[in-house]
Amino acid sequence: MPQPSLFSQQSQGVTLSEFNARIEAHLNGKADIQNQWVIAETSDLRLNRSGHCYTELIEKDSRGTTIARVGAAIWANTYRDLYHKFLRATGQVLSTGMKVMVNVTASFHRLYGIKVVINDIDPNYTMGDMARQRQEIINRLKAEGLIDRNKQQPWLDVPRRIAIVSAAGAAGYGDFMNQLTGNPYGLQFYTCLFNAVMQGAQTVPSVMAALGRINTYADMFDCVVIIRGGGATSELNSFDNYDLAATVACFPLPVIVGIGHERDETVLDYVAAIRVKTPTAAAEWLIQQGANALARLDELQDAVVTAVRDTVASAREHLAYFNSMIPATARRIIDTNRLRLDNYAASIPFAATGLITSQRTRLERAAERMGESVARTMQREQQRLQALSDKATLLSPLNTLRRGYALVRAADKCVTSASQLQPGDSITIQFATGTTAATVDEA
Amino acid sequence: MTMEENNQMTYTQAVTELEALVQKMQDPQCSIDNLTDYTKRSKQLLDICRQKLTAADEQLKQILADIQQQG
Repeated sequence: MPQPSLFSQQSQGVTLSEFNARIEAHLNGKADIQNQWVIAETSDLRLNRSGHCYTELIEKDSRGTTIARVGAAIWANTYRDLYHKFLRATGQVLSTGMKVMVNVTASFHRLYGIKVVINDIDPNYTMGDMARQRQEIINRLKAEGLIDRNKQQPWLDVPRRIAIVSAAGAAGYGDFMNQLTGNPYGLQFYTCLFNAVMQGAQTVPSVMAALGRINTYADMFDCVVIIRGGGATSELNSFDNYDLAATVACFPLPVIVGIGHERDETVLDYVAAIRVKTPTAAAEWLIQQGANALARLDELQDAVVTAVRDTVASAREHLAYFNSMIPATARRIIDTNRLRLDNYAASIPFAATGLITSQRTRLERAAERMGESVARTMQREQQRLQALSDKATLLSPLNTLRRGYALVRAADKCVTSASQLQPGDSITIQFATGTTAATVDEA
Repeated sequence: MTMEENNQMTYTQAVTELEALVQKMQDPQCSIDNLTDYTKRSKQLLDICRQKLTAADEQLKQILADIQQQG
């Protein structure tokens, strides 16, 4: 049996337009691909000259591998509305890499193929996703103890040497510099720009590289300022990045963040030592520190003046006090002594009278005692005299003479030996009564 | 303090010394004998502090300009 020739198979083929018409017939108008809300991620989003917006809608699995992809368009008249609606709600411009929920209609065109048209977008979904991502990063930074680390970096009294991370030509950088150099206090700041890309996909590596360069000169600076201008229209997604936030958190200098947004806080705001809304506000904050320091110096100067005045015044008061005290004190001393003298004077008569009385009493007693003593002595002496007299009487020669003895004297001397006498000597003989003269006959 | 020592002081050192000095001067026990020296020194410190905040350090400016150019 002959095989059917290729030609015969081909002869049964249809034209592409016919084939595409069949696809069109199968797809177009089907309810479940009309105005269907779809969750996807934007990729390679771009605008063309006519104002139409084209993007890839993709879906990734948990490992980040793309598992679905379709091209989509937002026609210019829809895009104008959606752009503003999305920006108002999220504070961000619709851009690549965003999680979105879009209302789409799919159709097939025989010339252009599958076309997905975005009719509407629900910004709440994107906001929720951004918030969730941000919260996850914040939770991780908290768990790792990083969220407040940069806030604990010590500040100098007046930070004046400032490392700036910004884009050289950006309006925000210009605002910051104008504000700083034109400060009304004459404060001197020293700035050094570390140029970085501040928007788009390169933001994170670029800012981190700038921080790395600052780190090598860390002892040259008092703080770091990360700034960018642009207000609410900026893309801030880049700043909700764990690596960047952790680098800022662990930075050896305090970091001020002013990345120009009003509505939302980025993760960077949470970890920075100081967060302000705009570059101008960052400059104002720095100027305020200097102004505070100058005000404190004024206060100290006033305190010095006051202290000098007070010390002199108090010394003067002291002097005046002593001055007034001296006469009064002198008077008091004189009065006290006069009173003492008076007291002495008053007490002398009493004391003298007392003394005389007591001495008189003593004298009288002494006199009494003397009388008694004399009488006693006299008696004793009389007794003694009597005894002596008795003794004398007993021993007197008269008594001997009365007993028959006689006393012989020659030439008025008592003769006690016969040898004293010569015959013819005149002698007297005394008797108890009377005396007789005699002459010695014989010796 | 010599001029050189004064010049080498940081703002923080100067303002710390100034605060302590003012406290001493405010003490009711502060002797009038010390007052002249204290006042002189506090004026010196005030000048150092103000000068640190407002006078331009051209050398530092140049160093930072060089770093900026390299960066």
